[in-house]
Amino acid sequence: MRTSLHPLTMWVWALLLITAVVLADKFWFALATVGVATVVVLIRSDGSPWNRTYWLSLKIGAFIIFVRTLFGIMIGVPIPGTTLFTIPRIDLPSWMPGIRLGGAVTLERLSSSIHEGLIIATVIALFGAATSLTSPHKLLRTLPVFIYEIGITLVIATSLFPQVGESAKRIRLAARLRGVEKISLRLIVMPLLEESLARSLQLAAAMDARGFGVSRKRSRYRPEIWSSRDSALCAISALVPLAVIFG
Amino acid sequence: MITFSNVSLVYPHSTKTIIEDLSFSIVEGEMVLVMGATGSGKSSLLRLINGLVPHHTGGILAGDISVDGISTQAVKPGALAHLVGIVAQNPANGFVTDIVEEELAFGMEALNFPPDVMRKRVEEVLDLLSLNPLRHRSIASLSGGEQQRVAIGSALVMHPKILVLDEPTSALDPIAAEEVLSLLHRLVHDLSVTVVIAEHRLERVIQFVDRIIYIEGNGEAAIGSAEEILRRANLVPPIIRLARALNLAEIGTSVREVRRATEGIRQRSFIEQVPEIGNNEIAIEVKALSKNYSEKIALKSISTEIYHGEIVAIMGRNGAGKSSLLHTIVGVALPDKGQVRVFGGDPYLLKGRQRRITIGYVPQEPSDLLYSQSVVSECEQADHDNEIAAGSTFALLNRLVPQISEKTHPNDLSEGQRLALVLSIVLAGNPEVLVLDEPTRGLDYQAKHLFAITLKEYAKKLDRPVLIATHDVELVAELADRVLFLAEGEIVADGSTLDVLLSSPAFAPQVAKVMSPKPWLTVSDVVEALAIEL
Repeated sequence: MRTSLHPLTMWVWALLLITAVVLADKFWFALATVGVATVVVLIRSDGSPWNRTYWLSLKIGAFIIFVRTLFGIMIGVPIPGTTLFTIPRIDLPSWMPGIRLGGAVTLERLSSSIHEGLIIATVIALFGAATSLTSPHKLLRTLPVFIYEIGITLVIATSLFPQVGESAKRIRLAARLRGVEKISLRLIVMPLLEESLARSLQLAAAMDARGFGVSRKRSRYRPEIWSSRDSALCAISALVPLAVIFG
Repeated sequence: MITFSNVSLVYPHSTKTIIEDLSFSIVEGEMVLVMGATGSGKSSLLRLINGLVPHHTGGILAGDISVDGISTQAVKPGALAHLVGIVAQNPANGFVTDIVEEELAFGMEALNFPPDVMRKRVEEVLDLLSLNPLRHRSIASLSGGEQQRVAIGSALVMHPKILVLDEPTSALDPIAAEEVLSLLHRLVHDLSVTVVIAEHRLERVIQFVDRIIYIEGNGEAAIGSAEEILRRANLVPPIIRLARALNLAEIGTSVREVRRATEGIRQRSFIEQVPEIGNNEIAIEVKALSKNYSEKIALKSISTEIYHGEIVAIMGRNGAGKSSLLHTIVGVALPDKGQVRVFGGDPYLLKGRQRRITIGYVPQEPSDLLYSQSVVSECEQADHDNEIAAGSTFALLNRLVPQISEKTHPNDLSEGQRLALVLSIVLAGNPEVLVLDEPTRGLDYQAKHLFAITLKEYAKKLDRPVLIATHDVELVAELADRVLFLAEGEIVADGSTLDVLLSSPAFAPQVAKVMSPKPWLTVSDVVEALAIEL
């Protein structure tokens, strides 16, 4: 087991890097940050199901770059420069000045679209990295005592989500096996609702049997401790946006 | 420790009395088994002990239940949390957090234990249940047996005087089941914990328990020592059936006792029976099949052939790749490498009606296949889908389990009845191959026997192959012709049921253990062999 950091540390780290990326607004800097985040995720992943969120966030980022570029080519204000290729232009009514569909695609316009897409994608990837390194459940544990109960309730509610997804997959599979090709909503929703309801009742019974809500006060098994390692890591990360501002 | 005095229980909107005028008491450090047919009220009885019934379910409770001097009617279940630890039938549905260590601490946090006490107790339980290597793991990534241990652990950290377990081994392979049961045995003997356990597979638990509560249905219940109850019960493990068939004076609950009593029989010599050579026309062909699930290898280059009229059991530990193999054979998952041919065709391409008449599949959760509001509309749907005469499916169901009410909601059926319903729906399509994934969880001996007869009839009369993945050694002994044994995605043994089951002590059925080295697996094997000799 790797030495653990305070749940907030990785979030502070991610937020500071996000600030730097947005402030710097540089293509190569954003790309390098994603590289760093990938390395950190690979080194520190502990095999929990949340680890997958980083790869998901990279996919979402790639999709955003793609859509942003597509729209950049199709719609928008022309930026003069080297023309790469021209696509047919659709004339818009005269009351929509400054906007055009199609037309010449310049190198400058293409690069600015990709650039903007990349910045957004980097921000999403860094959020993904923070989530995958510290499960939101752990983050909730750092909440102060008076909202801790709400936190626990949230944890329980969210831990049911992946299960519902699993069940839906299983039921769809079963329907296919029964030779039903047209998957209707009723086919999935009925068994799914029944199962989720049964599950929540079982969970409620289990929590009841384990004394949940009996004591008005609630203690914590392992208080999260902010160590000097956490401070050091946050301080080093803070240097990055500072360097961007003053550098 | 636990006292039931004149307890009766009726659930709301129900006319059936679950428990009637039941009185018994369990002393400290006793291990008690609750047995009975499926749907007879075992779970209700267990949940009465900590008051989940009727506090959580509703229902009318008469009489009084006291646990360590506290009446369960007077307090809520949570107030007994420090006294009674309960492990539900499917522990995965009762986990509240996602990390092993935090799950263990959850109950103590709720009762506001000081952190240093919590730390000490968590360490204790981690050691006691050998969970230490798993302490930081996410619960979802654990195997069935490990999850079961975590569930027991999270009950034990509260230092309960009573531990209640509802079918703790039903989803486990024989080795994991053995681990859990010997752990319970140790708790009873070392810590004097009182254990109440419900279980269908009596052969697994019988040697550990002190007394049995036998719920006979229709409200009647009997309490007594294992010998007393099993002497006259309907639901008995193979070892007792063997003792009855051989007319032994004493019935024993452990292999050792019955072995001593049958010394004479084993010393006689018998004519060895030559196994019949079956059809060798290939029905299913599996060639060099490999499949990975994100880094984890599920199947490693598996090749085998399944013949017509053959019942093949697929066995192996939890997570050995049984379900993955079945999924690729029925064509819901694509293999990474290799191929599967069912009657020469690729099962992945089967669709709609073609699929129904080629492969019949009963999934691990049979209720996944059900979506109507009543048994009869489920059956009508199957008649309609398969274009067969109205009422055929229901007639088939009635043959499997008589007296099933048409109007019942599928969810209100007992496990055995639900399996029968799904099986009739699948068989209504008259499929060329039948594939079943762990079908006998939660079935009592009678339901299992009926199920075995139906499958045998299907395979032998129609000369069609049946594939069945299961942990149930006794079922395999009774039913299967051939066993494929998987370990970590590879076939480690492939041979006749007799050869495979006798070669590993953990997977040997009870009769084989008693009669070893004679090559008999079931009671009827023994009876037949004796009949030939006479």
